Amino acid sequence: MSEAANPEGEADALFEIVRVRYGDRLTPAQLDELRRIVAAQLAAARALRAVPLTNADEPMQPFVPYRAEEPLTPLSPQRGEGGQR
Amino acid sequence: MIFKPVRELAALVSARKLSPVELAEHFLERLERLGPRYNAAVTVLRQHALIQARRAEGEIAAGRYRGPLHGIPYGAKDLLATAGTPTTWGAAPYKAQHFDFDATVVAKLQDAGAVLVAKLAMTELAGGMGYRQPTASFTGPCINPWNGNAWSGGSSSGSGAAVSAGLVPFAIGSETWGSILSPAGYCGLAGLRPTYGRVSRHGAMAICWSLDKLGSLAQTADDCGLVLDAIAGADPKDPTASERPYRYEALDRTGFRFGILPGVTDGCEEAVVENFTRSLGVLKKIGTVEDVTLPDLPYEQITRTILQVEAVSAFEDLIESGGIAGLTAPEDRYTPYAREAILAKDYLKAVRLRAVMAREIDRVLQHFDALVAPGRINEAPVLGQEFRSALRSTEKDVMGAKDVMGAIGNGAGLPAVCVPNGSGVRGLPTSIQFMGRAWEENTVLAAARAYQSLTDWHTRHPKVD
Repeated sequence: MSEAANPEGEADALFEIVRVRYGDRLTPAQLDELRRIVAAQLAAARALRAVPLTNADEPMQPFVPYRAEEPLTPLSPQRGEGGQR
Repeated sequence: MIFKPVRELAALVSARKLSPVELAEHFLERLERLGPRYNAAVTVLRQHALIQARRAEGEIAAGRYRGPLHGIPYGAKDLLATAGTPTTWGAAPYKAQHFDFDATVVAKLQDAGAVLVAKLAMTELAGGMGYRQPTASFTGPCINPWNGNAWSGGSSSGSGAAVSAGLVPFAIGSETWGSILSPAGYCGLAGLRPTYGRVSRHGAMAICWSLDKLGSLAQTADDCGLVLDAIAGADPKDPTASERPYRYEALDRTGFRFGILPGVTDGCEEAVVENFTRSLGVLKKIGTVEDVTLPDLPYEQITRTILQVEAVSAFEDLIESGGIAGLTAPEDRYTPYAREAILAKDYLKAVRLRAVMAREIDRVLQHFDALVAPGRINEAPVLGQEFRSALRSTEKDVMGAKDVMGAIGNGAGLPAVCVPNGSGVRGLPTSIQFMGRAWEENTVLAAARAYQSLTDWHTRHPKVD
């Protein structure tokens, strides 16, 4: 499907995900603002989608196969093991 | 003593002309007396600090001087775990949170002999929920020491306010997008955002695993280098912490090559543009200044999309449970729900484009020591005023984005340092930033030091007492 096929329809559909999942927690005014934010997120997504990439363009993030005895493979480097919440 | 750079305090301490215990007492008294005025501290660690200071004093007296941070007080943003004290992440739902270990940065600073005197205030959850006002912290808005009706910046708000008010000689902050450069710039300080992976994040709250970085705020760029020397390095508890060796080298040099991206002054306040233009004149005394170009890519959208998605994933438990209703800023209580509608494919497109962005900016930076730009587009916002957030996704922000340096620098994980370069119409500081290639902290610090050697903005301080 082309990007221009139905931009408003896509924004409506994405907003509907938010409304269905969280609508019972939100006021009408908050829902209105979320609708605007979803539209802005979609505009950003469209800017990303407009840039062509090739099959060779990989995500820029590392994945390292895990072995427990390897030193650099903690489960949660930031919150830390042994932390309490 | 109040506004002396760390390097000068260190010279006095090492010569035993200044007692670490006296130094700690001095800054503890200021934190307790003046800290509440600025909402700068969450927890003042009097007992803990005096124990560390007495230990430092004993070691130095016995001839075991550890280096320039030995006996120097500092504050840590309250997203760094510290055993035995609360670590609140600036957020009401976590205000009773305790960890049973120290963050690696805290442990490294202890090894360097520094004295932790306070956990410093911050924007709730480091701004990861999309706040857009200074009040977004359960401890209240951090007040700018230069103007009681202005914000200190965020999200390392207390780190900026405390150093600027002379409550600590230096502080640790964190930056995902702007959270060190903002408070440093607004408060007239030097702020260093190291290369992603230069400093271990073990024990630091996560907003965005692939963007979070820890750095320092201090009176001078030189001080930021001294601190980085102590906190940089590999850490088996953080796989992203690089094994590349780092030593701070404070060598004077000239002959810099500076570049300027197009549009970096778009949307800036008039005084910011004037001060930046004047700064370029200073830079031309120590190097060349050239305009540079980058390919047309959606830089802000790349970094913002990554940030938005990773932040809601990092706080999935709080968001799904409805616990965000306990946050302070009204917008933080519900706007994260919108990110549910960002598609996985679009997030991955952003992560793939990030590689293109990183290659393109490195291609440019290979020919320069640093790209320069205003540190902030404005003077510090007044309290009660909404501001643009890097995370705020309104149509206007997405289409009218004005922080390309922040988007590229943080998205590509590049080091940057900002230093004061003037003042605006309200008398608040403005700043200039130097951003370099990955792992070139010494280069950007050398440039900032050279700039500061020709200017005196860093010697001006707010009237506090």
